[in-house]
Amino acid sequence: MDHLRLMFVDDEEELVSALVERLELRGIDAIGVTSGDEALEHLREESFDVVIIDVKMPGIGGLEVLRTVSRRYPDVKVILMTGHGSAKDSEIGRRLGAVAYLQKPVDLEDLLATIELATDSKERVHPDE
Amino acid sequence: MSNKPVQPLERKGIVLFGAVGAGLSHELSNVFNIINELAGLQQDIVAAAAQGGAAGLARVSDLAARIKAQVVRGEEINRSLHRLSHSVDEPDGTFDLGETLVLFGSLAARAARLAEVSFEVRSPESPTAHRGDPFALLLVLHACLRAAIAAAASERRIEVSAEDGPEGAQVIVCSADPISDLQSDASVAEMLETGCAALAVVPRLERAPGGGCLIVLNLGSESTEPRSRG
Repeated sequence: MDHLRLMFVDDEEELVSALVERLELRGIDAIGVTSGDEALEHLREESFDVVIIDVKMPGIGGLEVLRTVSRRYPDVKVILMTGHGSAKDSEIGRRLGAVAYLQKPVDLEDLLATIELATDSKERVHPDE
Repeated sequence: MSNKPVQPLERKGIVLFGAVGAGLSHELSNVFNIINELAGLQQDIVAAAAQGGAAGLARVSDLAARIKAQVVRGEEINRSLHRLSHSVDEPDGTFDLGETLVLFGSLAARAARLAEVSFEVRSPESPTAHRGDPFALLLVLHACLRAAIAAAASERRIEVSAEDGPEGAQVIVCSADPISDLQSDASVAEMLETGCAALAVVPRLERAPGGGCLIVLNLGSESTEPRSRG
């Protein structure tokens, strides 16, 4: 998954830094942010292949970020993550265009498989040269 | 099986347990998720070292310290849940007002954070024994916080404190934003009414000197007669 550009959004800073480092160790160009506001700010200025978002955050929540991403950046694949998932949120997420809805804790191999599946059919932000 | 009806305080208490329990469970979940990722990262680093990469004992040790910090955080959350559970044990006993306020602060922190409200609890400097139902006080404070969060506008600052007033101990919930009334949300109003009835207090809504609002709960003196549940 070289050249994949990814953003992880979660209000738990420790979780963000650990997961981002693990993704980087696997060759993914990842950044982490801790709020929906920050995520939207980065999306305005940079390109991403995948955005992984926590559903429940202070301020702009994951579903709201997803709604904006789907409308403004339709090429970006969004994976929702949640601590306590509900069938309702999952259904809303899928309707809004999320490619997957994962329950935390997520096994990294499962997350990588989901990312791979999500990005298989699209051209990457940084295609192989 | 008894058909004894559930008393108002018990019913509202279940609502409080539900709301607070769900929040604390979510916080504990966050702790487990972080530990999971930090342990995974530690494994990644050790695996890289086994293949000849640079690991650095300091890095592994740093990750262990971060895991331990999360365990401490988890223990604090668990302690709060335990103390909430035992707050119903002695509705007619004597409790320390400061300790109850500190407990409320830890139980309510998540709700305030999610609402993007700055939230602070200042407990009395010296132990303040009070006779009554600590769980009813938690219920009242929860209702006051919900009312203050619902009214939070530009300032978004809420403080809870206790002090000695002319008629005994007072708990004050101070919102930097104005609160128009405590009855606008029916479930908050019912919770407040039920808790206040059990504590035999009447909440007063006052204008704060520098703007905003105060919800004043006059708990009376230490020798206040306890009220029965329900």
